[in-house]
Amino acid sequence: MFTESDGTVTDETLMEAVRNGDLAKLGILFERHHQALFDFLVRMTSSSSTAEDLVQDVFVRVLKYRGTWRGEGRFDTWLFRIARNARADYFRTRPPNAPIDEADQYPSHAPLPGDLLARNRDVAQLQRALMLLREDKRELIVLARYRGMKLEAIADLLGIEVGTVKVRIHRAVKELRDIFLRLSESPSWKTTNSVGSCPTT
Amino acid sequence: MENDKLSRLLPDDVDRKEADSLDATWRMLGAIDAPAADSDRMRARLDAVLDAVEHAAPPAPRRWLGRRDLAAGGYAMQGLAVAAVLVVGIAIGRFVVPDPTRPADSSSEIAAMRGEMRELREMVSLSLMQQQSASDRLKGVTWTGQLDRPSGEVISALVDALIHDPNVNVRLATIDALERFASREDVRRATIEAVDRQMSPLVQIALIDFLVKTNERRSAPTLKRLAQDPQVNDAVRSRAAWGLQQLG
Repeated sequence: MFTESDGTVTDETLMEAVRNGDLAKLGILFERHHQALFDFLVRMTSSSSTAEDLVQDVFVRVLKYRGTWRGEGRFDTWLFRIARNARADYFRTRPPNAPIDEADQYPSHAPLPGDLLARNRDVAQLQRALMLLREDKRELIVLARYRGMKLEAIADLLGIEVGTVKVRIHRAVKELRDIFLRLSESPSWKTTNSVGSCPTT
Repeated sequence: MENDKLSRLLPDDVDRKEADSLDATWRMLGAIDAPAADSDRMRARLDAVLDAVEHAAPPAPRRWLGRRDLAAGGYAMQGLAVAAVLVVGIAIGRFVVPDPTRPADSSSEIAAMRGEMRELREMVSLSLMQQQSASDRLKGVTWTGQLDRPSGEVISALVDALIHDPNVNVRLATIDALERFASREDVRRATIEAVDRQMSPLVQIALIDFLVKTNERRSAPTLKRLAQDPQVNDAVRSRAAWGLQQLG
């Protein structure tokens, strides 16, 4: 399939063109996917500048390893696989909160999620709980809830069965709820929460 | 969004009450917003990479300072552009209007002009490589491809960028730029040192390729260490093992 039903050229066709040397087509793929990638990465890292650097890294990897694209699966799954690897590589050598590359020189112009949500304590608590969740569990929630990925696509991305995805989503949300409840009951939260300081709505 | 309802994503045997309770958390997750991407800035960074890749090899003759270069470099670059125009203008003037008081010696004039042009190109490259913006530094590295016989200062700047530049793309472009000078001892030593010090797997892999291409056998102990270190990225480990094989 070279085009969608509405005549749009498919991602896979564009990627094939990139593989064959038409590098300008990468710009179209970037326009289509950078926001989704950024959203995934900023929710995973809680840092706009880190997410921005990682999106850049992902597209550089696509460029560098374009020859490995076989056109056998969905482009977006391949792209997110690269994004997961890029993120893992990024944090393998750095503690999650260490200043990275030019993060200091690229200050985020957009407010962090925590700032956005400070006016709503419950939501801010939930966000904090999400960041306290183990990374693999948080990733599942981000993919399913925020990226709206189908179970089959998540299974393909993670290399597991659909049934396993369901079980893991169940466990992840359950744990998230438990952390959220613990945070809500914690007296320290009411006086010193690190996410937001606005009054309860 | 398709996954707004959690129950569709849970195993069939999850208790209904439990599913409803979790669904409340799931719905609340929808209220957590995320910052928007700075698309223009990100696109500009990608364009700089594409530009660098497209112009990396072979360094064909290309335009002098274009409008985009001027915009990127600000006043300093405009100053350099003016200087370039001045040098070219003086050179052309000397040829078109010969000075009757001087003996005609066109070959030395041409040599002098070429020397001035080379110095100017070097100055532009070095100046760009010292900029704060990664895309400017990337341009500076790419510009060195236009220099026929770059001075030691330019090569030192490239070596320094390879080891110390904080931006992955600049370091990658530097490796490509240094390929021309692979016969130099300082460049070879720097690449061996860099492969050990790099944090980015992408750069490490490119350096391993460089070492193999230049048949740098002194890198074997470093590659061996990388190939055996479980802390090292899988792709880097296997590339290092491959590199060792290639170097025999």
